This record gives sequence, C-alpha cells and structure tokens, in this order.
Amino acid sequence: MTAQAAENPPMSTITTAPNDLAAPRAALFLHRWQSTSFALVAGVAALLSGHGAAPMIVAPAIVAIGVALDRSRQVRDLRDRAADAAFVASADQLGQDVLPVWAAHIENSRHQMESAVAALTQRFAGIVDRLDQTLRASGHGDDIGLASAFAHSKDELGAVLDSLKDAMASNTAMNSEVQSLSRFVAELQQMAAEVADIAQQTNLLAINAAIEAAHAGEGGRGFAVLAQEVRKLSALSGATGQRMADKVGVIGEAIRVAREAAQVSAKREAASARASEGAITGVLERFRGVTEAMEASTEALKQQSAGIQVEIVEALVQLQFQDRVSQRMTHVRHNIERLPDLLAESRRRFDASGALAPVDAKVLLDELEGSYAMADERATHADSASREAPAAPADSLEEVTFF
Amino acid sequence: MAKTIMIVDDSASLRQVVGISLRSAGYDVLEGSDGADALKKLTGQKVHLIISDVNMPNMDGISLVKELKKLPAYKFTPIVMLTTESADGKKAEGQAAGAKAWMLKPFNPPQLLAVVQKLVLP
Repeated sequence: MTAQAAENPPMSTITTAPNDLAAPRAALFLHRWQSTSFALVAGVAALLSGHGAAPMIVAPAIVAIGVALDRSRQVRDLRDRAADAAFVASADQLGQDVLPVWAAHIENSRHQMESAVAALTQRFAGIVDRLDQTLRASGHGDDIGLASAFAHSKDELGAVLDSLKDAMASNTAMNSEVQSLSRFVAELQQMAAEVADIAQQTNLLAINAAIEAAHAGEGGRGFAVLAQEVRKLSALSGATGQRMADKVGVIGEAIRVAREAAQVSAKREAASARASEGAITGVLERFRGVTEAMEASTEALKQQSAGIQVEIVEALVQLQFQDRVSQRMTHVRHNIERLPDLLAESRRRFDASGALAPVDAKVLLDELEGSYAMADERATHADSASREAPAAPADSLEEVTFF
Repeated sequence: MAKTIMIVDDSASLRQVVGISLRSAGYDVLEGSDGADALKKLTGQKVHLIISDVNMPNMDGISLVKELKKLPAYKFTPIVMLTTESADGKKAEGQAAGAKAWMLKPFNPPQLLAVVQKLVLP
C-alpha cells in the first residue's frame, strides 16, 4: 500500500502540472475541470499514503464526499458544456451565415462590374464603329474633326476600361481574403470540438476515479493509472485551449488583412471613378460635338448621328454601375470592420472568466441587413442565406413614382 | 435663358452622368456632394429643379428636402429623389417631406429628361 501510494504524485505536483505544460491562460481555461477531479484524486491519494487501516473506516465518508463533489462537478460541467456549445454554435454561425453573405455581395459586385465593363466595351466599340463608317462614307471626316476625335477617343476609352478592370482585380483579391476567413473559422470549430471531446473524456475518467475511490482498499494501482490519464488529458486540453486562444488572435489578424484589402479595393474604385470621370466626360462631349456637326451635314450622317446618340445613352446607363457597386461594397466594408470588435469582446470575456464566450454573428447580419438600400442587395442577402447562387444583378430600369 | 438644375449626390460618377444628360438637353447644372454641401451652394439664386440622392454622408436627401422647405427661396422648388433606395418606407418619408417624385437608379437619361420637363419650374 505504501509502495503504491509513493507512485502517486503528491498533490502539489498534480495541481501545478498544467502550468508546466501550457500557458497560464490555458491553465485558467482548464481550472473548471481540475478543481473537482483533482480534489477528489488528491484526497484519495492522501488517504492512501500514511494510513493503512483508514480505508476500511473512512471508505463510506469518501463515497459521500465523492457523491457531493460529483454533483457540484455535474452542475459546473453542464454550465461549461453550455458555454462550449454556444461558442461552437457561434463559430458555426459565423462560418455558415455571415461569410457567405459577404462573399455573395463581393461576388455579385464583381459580376456587376464584369457585365458593365463588357457592356461598356461593346458600346464604345459600337460608337467607334459608327464613327469609322461615317468617316469612310462621308469622305470629309476631317472637316468636322472626326479623324482626330476617333483616334483620341479610342485611347481614352481604353484607359477607362483598364482602370475598371484594375478595380475588378482588387475586388477579386478581397473575395479570396474573405474565403480564407472561412478556413480559420473551420479550424476554430474543430478545436472547440476537440476541447469538448476532451472535457467529456475527463468527465468519464473522473467518474471512474470516484468509483475506484470507493474501492480504494484493493484498487490503489488502477487509481494511480487513472490519475495519470487525467493529467495527460488535462495537459492536452490545456494545449488545445491555448491554440484556440491563439487562433482567435490569428482570425483578428485575418480580418485586419481583409479590411485592408477592402480599403485598397475602395481606393482603387475611387481612383477608377476619378480616372474615368475626366476621360468619359471628354469622350462623350467630344462625340456630342462631333454628332452635332454631323447633323448639320447630310441625311445619312444624321442617321448615324442618331445611332451614336442611342449608344451614348446606353453607355450613360451602364456607367452608373460604379455608384451601385461602391454602395454595396461600402455596406460590406462597414460590416467587416465590426467583426474585430466582436472578437475582441469574446476574447475579453474569455480572459476574464475562462469560459468561451460566443461571438454574436447575428448582430453582424442584422447590422448588414439594416444598411441595405438596393433591392438587389436584399435579394443577394436572402439568396445567400438560403444557400442558393447569387441573384443576377437588377439591371432593368425602374418606374418613376410621382407624388 | 437656360434653366438651372441642381444635382445632389455623393457619387462623382453619378453627378457626372446626370450632368451630361442635362447639359445635352440645354440645362445649366449645379452640383452638390451631399445635403450640407447643397445648402452651402444654394445662396439664393434661382434653381428650377433639384435632383437629390437619398443616402448620403453629412446630410441625407430626406433631411435636405425638409431643410429646403424651410427656406423661402426654395420652398416651392420641385425636388426629384434619384436613388437606389427601394424600400416603401423611405419612399413614404420622401413624399411626407415634400419631394415631387421618386426615381430609381440606374436611370435612363431620356426618362430622366421626361421627368425634368414635366416638373421643372417655368
């Protein structure tokens, strides 16, 4: 009995073990599991060392203490498991509900940019073609400055399209940043599941320890093995707890990168708007000057001029995509910028209490939904929430309401 | 003499597209980048119609309409809301504030000109 008892580590070694193996924060995180199971283990270990006849006398008392501790542990475990479940659910919600909405908005914006750029390219090509035909047919293009307008406009329209494509590329980069966030969230969920699993195993071992304690007289060796297992598991869950805490930091960093990508995207959009502002005004007004001059010319030229006016009107409709995309991206950017606050709050509560605090993803979704102005934004939100493909952008022209 | 129309929108590209459409029809165009900027630029001169966005920084379009209704010089100036905002509640707010029409973006330039011609002051 004494030899067996000597194999059991003394109480101080057991209780400080997690501090040797993992960071103090992880120890705090684990405190809830240790406090009950190690008290039980230590109490029994003390009885096993020194007092040969004691187990016979105090066994009923140990069982009574074991039952009382077991009950209080069950209450705590229930509460902690509820906190774990809430955390896992919140990570789930972040991954399944919020990120797809962000990604759908970015994807939808990219799609709108792409179709607008394609349509503009077509319109611009149409305008250039008509001017070219007119130039050939009339044979006096230079009289109305058509040739120089043609050459100049082609260059300027090319520059506009380049800058629009640039904005589109940075939008794509932002989308991949948001995608990488889902990967972090999945890792976090995996780790939360590990911790929950370990907690459950620790719980089972603690129950076994209680049973062993009841038979302490004959089962000292089996008990020592159990105590070792509890230590190992605690160390393991301590390390996982630390990894989870670290991961929250990594996610914060990833959000910072995504936010920077969003800012770069916004800057490029603004630059693209500025670049196209001068160029498009110049080109369209030059066209107008040219078409006015053409109207003064022959009937055939007049018809070409009318055709060009239609193309210009269509180009003016298409150019409004910049306004729509920029509004949508502003709403998503503001929403992304809110996430670090929520993560920091969860981290603060974790540091203070050692219990995992859920990140309230619903707050984010509600705020995002509240910021919408456009019908197609609401449609994207509804579609991505129901996990369907993003809706086609609403490019049909709407009615006017007179009051 | 050409009539003057003010366009209030925080998007430079949108102001530009509206500006091109209006100038091509012979109107003079004033620009404001938000409600506050528009009020600052309206210093008593005659404006025949105002086209305003709804969601803007500093001062939104609905607040701008309310402010304009308090000013004797612009109390009767017709205001067209040109916005991506499609919620009926916002539209009702615009109507209650005193706007004359609600037009959704993206707009078609000939359609905008038709609305302008219908509402512009003589």
